[in-house]
Amino acid sequence: MNVHTDPLVDEYLRRLEVAAAGLPADRRLELVSEIRGHLREALRQVPEGDQAGVRNALERLGAPEEVAAAALDASEDSSTAVGQLSGLAVASLLMAVLWFAGIGAVLALGFGYRARREIRDSSGRKTGTGLATAGIILGWIGIVIVVVGAILIAVHPAR
Amino acid sequence: MSQLRKGVLEYCVLALLRDGQRYGFELVRALSEAEGLLVSEGTIYPLLSRLRRDDLVSTEWRESESGPPRRYYELTDMGQRALGEFSAEWIRFRDAVDALVTTQGEMGDERAH
Repeated sequence: MNVHTDPLVDEYLRRLEVAAAGLPADRRLELVSEIRGHLREALRQVPEGDQAGVRNALERLGAPEEVAAAALDASEDSSTAVGQLSGLAVASLLMAVLWFAGIGAVLALGFGYRARREIRDSSGRKTGTGLATAGIILGWIGIVIVVVGAILIAVHPAR
Repeated sequence: MSQLRKGVLEYCVLALLRDGQRYGFELVRALSEAEGLLVSEGTIYPLLSRLRRDDLVSTEWRESESGPPRRYYELTDMGQRALGEFSAEWIRFRDAVDALVTTQGEMGDERAH
């Protein structure tokens, strides 16, 4: 049976598009395309003109409004959920600021790079890339200060 | 209860992909055959979309011998890891809940006698 010629299926997909209007366009297209593909597979086993079979397939999917609500819910989950701040990122920035005659700067780099790796691997469960990057930049500046200071002292020994 | 089901469902999807790629319809029907797990088949697709955006699964369009191309889902390395972590955690969780629920039930029975 062809999905596109069944009025019940057309009506379902139309209601889905309306209900999913709040989704970003690419997300909405993806959802409608998946549901269309699902119905195509489901109706392959339904004989031509079997209205009860079509209705059953649509019922198993759930109301289009329910499917769209799940999609809106899922898109909030990943875009607005706030991850936990990475302790390593905080430690990195703190060490960079404290500096400790260069030791803090070295620790800031170590913590900072580890924090960024940890955040990247956490699939959104950890945040603080900005803090870690700030720690890394300040850490490098701290090291440059130590190196320049050491050179200056070597070239101009205290009189 | 619905929150619990929702939280576990995504790992059931990952578990179904453990042995290789499956296309959406196949996945959804496999889930709906597991008693008491799924409310509406359609709500699995938003879940699949989120798993893809979280890099736990990847997708690929493939020709099918009958009809139009199908979109296949596959576990990523990260998905594999997440599933492994969940499986270990789940056994501990399940045993702890089982132990509590069963003891409570037995205590209730005793009181009833």
